Amino acid sequence: MTRSRLIRLVLAVALAVVAILVSRRVGTPQPDGEAGPRRGGRLVASFRTEPTNFNRLVEAQPVARLAALLTQATLLRVDPNSGAFEPRLATAWTGTPDGLTWTFTLRPNVRFSDGTAFTAADVLFTFQALYDERVGSPLASEMRANGQPLQVRALDDHHVVLTFPVPFGPGLTILDSLPILPRHKLQAALDAGTFRAAWSAGVNPADMAGLGPFMLQEYVPAQHMRFVRNPNFWLTDAEGQALPYLDEIEVAIVPEQNAELLRLQAGESDLTTGGTRAEDLAMLRDAEAAGRIRLMNAGTAIDVSTFWFNLTPGAKAVAGKPWLTDESFRRAVSHAVNRQAIVDTVHLGAATPVYGPITPGHGQWFVPGMGETPFDLGRARTLLTSIGLEDRDGDGVLEDKANRPVRFSLLTQRGNTERERTSAVVQEQLRQVGIAVDVVALDGGGLVGRFTSGDYEAIYFGAQSNSADPANNLGFWLSNGGFHYWNPGQVTPATEWEARIDTLMQQQAATMDRAERIRLFTEVQQLVADHVPALWFAAANITVPVNARVGGVTAAAIQPPVLWNAERLYVTSERR
Amino acid sequence: MNLALAIRRVIAALLLVITVSAAAFVLARLAPGDETTSDFIAGVDPATIARKRERLGLDRPFAVQLATYVWGILRLDLGESARFERPVASLVAERGANTARLAFAALLLATVLGLPLGVLTGAHARWWGSRLIAVMSIAVLACPPLVAALGLLYLAVSTGWLSAAPGHLFVPALALGLPVAASLERLQSQATRDAMAAPDLLAAAARGIPPRRLVWVHAARQSLRPVLGVYGIVIGSLFSGSLAVEFVTSWPGLGRLMYDAVRAGDVRLVAGCVFAGGVCLAVGNLVADGLRAWADPRVRETA
Repeated sequence: MTRSRLIRLVLAVALAVVAILVSRRVGTPQPDGEAGPRRGGRLVASFRTEPTNFNRLVEAQPVARLAALLTQATLLRVDPNSGAFEPRLATAWTGTPDGLTWTFTLRPNVRFSDGTAFTAADVLFTFQALYDERVGSPLASEMRANGQPLQVRALDDHHVVLTFPVPFGPGLTILDSLPILPRHKLQAALDAGTFRAAWSAGVNPADMAGLGPFMLQEYVPAQHMRFVRNPNFWLTDAEGQALPYLDEIEVAIVPEQNAELLRLQAGESDLTTGGTRAEDLAMLRDAEAAGRIRLMNAGTAIDVSTFWFNLTPGAKAVAGKPWLTDESFRRAVSHAVNRQAIVDTVHLGAATPVYGPITPGHGQWFVPGMGETPFDLGRARTLLTSIGLEDRDGDGVLEDKANRPVRFSLLTQRGNTERERTSAVVQEQLRQVGIAVDVVALDGGGLVGRFTSGDYEAIYFGAQSNSADPANNLGFWLSNGGFHYWNPGQVTPATEWEARIDTLMQQQAATMDRAERIRLFTEVQQLVADHVPALWFAAANITVPVNARVGGVTAAAIQPPVLWNAERLYVTSERR
Repeated sequence: MNLALAIRRVIAALLLVITVSAAAFVLARLAPGDETTSDFIAGVDPATIARKRERLGLDRPFAVQLATYVWGILRLDLGESARFERPVASLVAERGANTARLAFAALLLATVLGLPLGVLTGAHARWWGSRLIAVMSIAVLACPPLVAALGLLYLAVSTGWLSAAPGHLFVPALALGLPVAASLERLQSQATRDAMAAPDLLAAAARGIPPRRLVWVHAARQSLRPVLGVYGIVIGSLFSGSLAVEFVTSWPGLGRLMYDAVRAGDVRLVAGCVFAGGVCLAVGNLVADGLRAWADPRVRETA
């Protein structure tokens, strides 16, 4: 190649690069201004998993919850930020003094999206389907009080009576997650035993009906869901304008998180419905500075990963390592872990150090300072020495009294960057006090399999939690619970303090007095802090990126963080 | 290729597909976790999970599950997906059609780009353009599909020249087709160089056949033989390579379905996807055999 040809080639490539950069669409949309809500327009969101079923009663995954929030409505709603009740399909409710029986007045003149009138029969039908054994609803367990179903009966077409079998602390808050389904569309399927399949992903949208702000118009498998305004939606704003403001919401299925962010930055989508990784925040802040997006603070997550040792008595996996089940050992580990370092390095500052499973995101259940163990390597070493763990051969690793090295394996979830990185930081920090940790990342199936079979020494993981109310998480707190990680499914409580926690949790779940519930739960938290059955390090601060043209956003630390309030979202300009 | 050979090939392909699918069922079942793992992670209570396991037959012995599955395949019944609660066959057919569409577009793109460029670079090996094309081909081949797909996606969304919306074909076809085009270009280039040095081509040149006809008719046809031989492998690689591309570009194909099925521990769906992949590979090889027979009389004679 001659020099002149080479120069021409280089120039051509340079021109092409410049053309790409110049043509980048960096138009600044009109921000959420003071003009007020604008009716009409289309919003594009993205979600990383495709729906398998549009019926919330049979599907627990977040995408089913999203579809239900858009297309269905509940009797009442709990504001995720204030905790206050909001009337939805029920306009009023009155209870007996014992809090067991509640009479609901249903909103008059409400019609499903297909025009059929909404009556008390739909409420009764929903509860019938919820408790039907053939349906196997994942919602059924949380809609029971002390394991017993709620009783529902209709006084007339617009009044229903709900009876709790026993006093139940969460009370009416559980109704926040129960969408009222159309009896006229689903009764036949329930009778025929085909309820689970009735609204599967292959359903014809015309066979669905709902009371939510939108209705499903189209689902193209694995590509997108298109929701259009429900003309029969029953709610108006303060000015009497019919809600929702938007004409249409398209939820694109984008499985890859980097692709999702690229689309958001380029303005191809208006918001993401999953979490934002800490490492993406710097890039998003640049986009915010350029006026393309806004970063909304949704508060502190209530889901916090748990670090626990296998405390099941007689577990083979921990045989020969009695120190693994020693309370002082766990306390030493807690002192040896620098939580602020985890916040700074793993979450890049976008998190809050925590010392228990209850985070500031849990609102009034959170007790500041509870169980706080300062980062103190000296204290950690003292505790380790007190149980006979010392570096006897000078190799930097502690040995127990039988001269076996203090070494354990820590299982964590592969692909979850927060958990993998935190495990690496913990490994490094424990090395400083002479504890050797082998981190093993397994996929979800492998990890759950090792946990349920009890074949592990320590795990850093955690199942999702959808409710801040501790009474809705009894599976974690009670000693016989499946999510009582360190020793699940106990027939009788293994320790006195766990027996005490069982008693306190059952009391607080059966108490209607909120102040008393908080007092009882504070005692539970104190017991956990005293006995350190598990460790918690950091709770993510949830940041939600939203296109600057989207208004009416009230971000919350729930799934989905923005679309939970979809009827009040609006756009200030049309899409390019 | 005569009829008897064709029938033998088809029977062998069917046996291969059934064996591979059953092996996938065994491997997926032996892997840790099952169809209820995601429910556990989602916080569903153990009693509900136990009911689901019973409903899906996960409490039955493994041998019974495998026998049921193989008997189903023999009746062309791939069972029901635990995740979607729909027949696997309909899911696989729906997404398989999308993957086939993507693979066909990518193959077309690769063929239209790769073969002519290969002939060009093979016939004019000393031309600077040939060297540039060779460097670009090697660069494209060296780039992992995931990175290439992300790069194209970035180009698409940052310039607005191409649509990156889920379901649009061009970006995924480009991401999948370019490495294949590069591969074909390299193969065709070498084959053309070899053909140009063959005695019959030298004799033809000596007889005064115009250079353009010599290259684009005589050399091209001769050099197609080895290239067509790898088309079966290429079709197979399009299927396997489509996983990363489908995932990044949100293309609703079989690769993405299988990825989701593996993550969800949906064993029947995993095996169903492998079944479909096996069918694609077998059909691709049969088509490649046919093409080779068409291009090379020696193959017809020996068959």
